[in-house]
Amino acid sequence: MTARAGHVSLENVTKIFARADLNSTLVALEGVSMEIRPAEFVSIVGTSGCGKSTLLRIIAGLETATFGRAYCDGELIAGTNPKRGLVFQEHSLFPWLSVRENIAFGLRATGRYRSGAGLVDALISIVGLSEFADSYPHQLSGGMRQRVSLVRALVVSPDVLLLDEPLGALDSFTRMNIQDELLKLWNEHKNTMILITHDVDEAIYLSQRIYIMSPRPGRIAGEIPLRMSYPRNRSSSEFVNVRNEILRRLDFAKEEQEEYNL
Amino acid sequence: MSGKTASLSAEPISAADGRSLESRAPTPWELRQIEAAPKSRNRIAADRATCALPLVLAAAVLAQYKLTPNLNDAATTDVYTCFILLLASAVLVKFVMSFFSKKTFEKLLEKAPLYTAAFLFFALYDYATIKTGILPLPYFPWPDRILNGIYEDRALLLDCIKNSLILLFSGYFAGAAIGLLTGLSAGLSRRVRYWVLPLIQILGPIPSTTWLPIILIVAASLFGGSVFLIALGVWYPVTMTSMQGVLNIPKANFEAARILGAGKARLLFRVALPAAMPNIFQGLTQGMSVACTALMVAEMMGVESGLGWYINWQRGWAEFAKMYGAVIVICVTFSVVNFLLSLVKRRVLRWQEGYWN
Ligand SMILES: Nc1ncnc2c1ncn2[C@@H]1O[C@H](COP(=O)(O)OP(=O)(O)OP(=O)(O)O)[C@@H](O)[C@H]1O
Ligand SMILES: [Mg+2]
Repeated sequence: MTARAGHVSLENVTKIFARADLNSTLVALEGVSMEIRPAEFVSIVGTSGCGKSTLLRIIAGLETATFGRAYCDGELIAGTNPKRGLVFQEHSLFPWLSVRENIAFGLRATGRYRSGAGLVDALISIVGLSEFADSYPHQLSGGMRQRVSLVRALVVSPDVLLLDEPLGALDSFTRMNIQDELLKLWNEHKNTMILITHDVDEAIYLSQRIYIMSPRPGRIAGEIPLRMSYPRNRSSSEFVNVRNEILRRLDFAKEEQEEYNL
Repeated sequence: MSGKTASLSAEPISAADGRSLESRAPTPWELRQIEAAPKSRNRIAADRATCALPLVLAAAVLAQYKLTPNLNDAATTDVYTCFILLLASAVLVKFVMSFFSKKTFEKLLEKAPLYTAAFLFFALYDYATIKTGILPLPYFPWPDRILNGIYEDRALLLDCIKNSLILLFSGYFAGAAIGLLTGLSAGLSRRVRYWVLPLIQILGPIPSTTWLPIILIVAASLFGGSVFLIALGVWYPVTMTSMQGVLNIPKANFEAARILGAGKARLLFRVALPAAMPNIFQGLTQGMSVACTALMVAEMMGVESGLGWYINWQRGWAEFAKMYGAVIVICVTFSVVNFLLSLVKRRVLRWQEGYWN
C-alpha cells in the first residue's frame, strides 16, 4: 500500500436525477465540495434522503456528477475502480455464491486469489462468521449479511473505503466490536475511510472529521474536526459535547429544510 | 455435512426424546419429524396397511393372470409374470426396510397409493384385454405381448435409443448454447436487444416443426437438418428466458461486481449467467420438451433411425404390440433425460432459497 494514495477531492459537485414517472428532475446534491486526505477517517451524517448515498456513489464511480468534478489521487473519477471499495447500504451480496466465495470475488476479479486466500478466512473469523463460511446469503441474518459485505470490500484492501451505513442492522454490542475492528484495520492499512452513518456516536467514535449534510438539495452544512485520541471514551465530556453540538446542528438543518419547503 | 448424516441413523432422534438434541443439531429431515404432530397407534397401523396395499394388488394381478382362463385360450409367456414380480419385489424390499428406517417408511407411505393404482391398472387392463376382450385385438394388445415385443426387438430398440439420443442432444446443446449467447447478450446490451427482439417476435410463435418440410428438401443431410430443427425449437425458449433472467437481475449485483474490479467477461460469466440461472433453467426445461417433440416429428417424417422411425416402421407392419412397446421405451427414455436435467438443475441452483427441502 502506497502511503500517499487515497486522496479524494470533490469540486462543486451537483447531482440532478431525472424522475421518470413525474417528468421532472430532482436536485439530490448541490455544490458539494470536499477535500479528504489520504488515510483520513471522515464521516458524513445527515437526515434520510439528503443525498449521502448519492455522494458516495459518485466517489465510487457508479454515478457521474451532473456538474462539478470528483477526483481521486488527482485523476478524474470515471467509472469504478477496485482501489475505491464500497460497502452498499442495502445488502448486495451475490446470492449464488457462498459467504467465502462472495468475499473471494474481488480477489479473483483482480487476480489476487492465490496470495489472498488465507486472508479470506482470517477476515471471516474476525467478523465471527467462521461457522457460516459455506452458507449462502439467504441463510444469513441481516446483520450477518452486512458483516459479509463489509469483509468483501475490505479483503481487496482498497485505498479508499466507502462505507454506506455498513453497521446499520447490527445490535449495539456487535456494532461496537466491529467498530473497534474497523479502527484496527484502518490503523494497519492506513487507507482512507469515508463512512456514512445515522449513528452520531459511531461517527464521533471513529472519525477524525465529520461532515454534516442538510437535505433538499443535499449540501454540506458544516464540518466538525475531532482531535480526541483513539481509542475514544464514549462517556467523556468532550465526546458528549461533540454529540450535542452535532445533534443541535442536525436539528437546525431540519428546520432549514422546513423553511425551504414553505 | 455427510458425516453428520451418517451418525444420525446410529442414534435416531425421537420427538419425545428432545434431550439427545443437546449434543448436536438435528438434520432437516429429523427437524420435520420433531415438528410434526405425533401419530396415534391406530394411525400407524393404518399407515402400515397402506404400505402393504400395493403388494396385495400385485398378488391379485398375478393370480388373475395365471389362474383365470384366457380368451380363446390365447398363449401367454412368463415375461409379464417376471415383470410384475420385479415391480412387486422392489416394493417388497422397501416394505421390509420401512420397518427399520423411518425415512423409507415415510417415503413408501407417500408413494404407496400410486403403486397401488399402477397395479390396479394392470389388473383392469389384463381383465379388459386377454381375459374378456372388451378392448379388442389388434388395437389393444395385452401387456405380455407388448413386453415380448420389446424383448424381441431389444437390439434394434437399443440402437434406436442411441440414435435418438445423439440427435436429441446434438440439437439440444446447439440450440441451448446459441440461445444462451443471444439471450445473455440481449439482456446485457440494449443494442443487441434491438436486433434480437424482432427476430424473437417473428420466429417465436412458429412451432419449429413447421420448418420440417422445407428442411427435408433444402438440408444437405437429414441429420443436419434435424439438428437444426431441434436447435431452433430449443433456441427460442432459452433465448427468451435468459434475456428475461438478465433483465431481472438487481442492478446492485452488477454494481458490486464492478466495484470489486470485475471486467466484461466476468460480468457476463460470473454475474449475469449464474444470477439468471433460475430463469435459464425454465427455458432449458421448456426447451427439452420442445426438443423431444421435434425429435419425434423429424424421425417420423424423414430420419431413418431412432425411436420415432421405429414406431412409424412398425405401423407399416401393423405390429400394434411393438408400437405400444415403442411408446413405453420413448416414455422411459425421455423421463430419464428429464430426470438427469432436473439433477443438474438441483445442483446448479442449490443456492436458491427453498432448495434444501
Ligand atoms: N437513481 C435515482 N433516481 C432518482 N432519484 C434518486 C436516485 N437515487 C437517489 N435519488 C434521490 O436522491 C435523493 C437522495 O438520495 P440518497 O439515496 O442519496 O439519500 P441518503 O442520504 O442516502 O438517504 P438514506 O439516509 O435514507 O439512505 C433522494 O431524494 C432520492 O429520492
Ligand atoms: Mg443512503
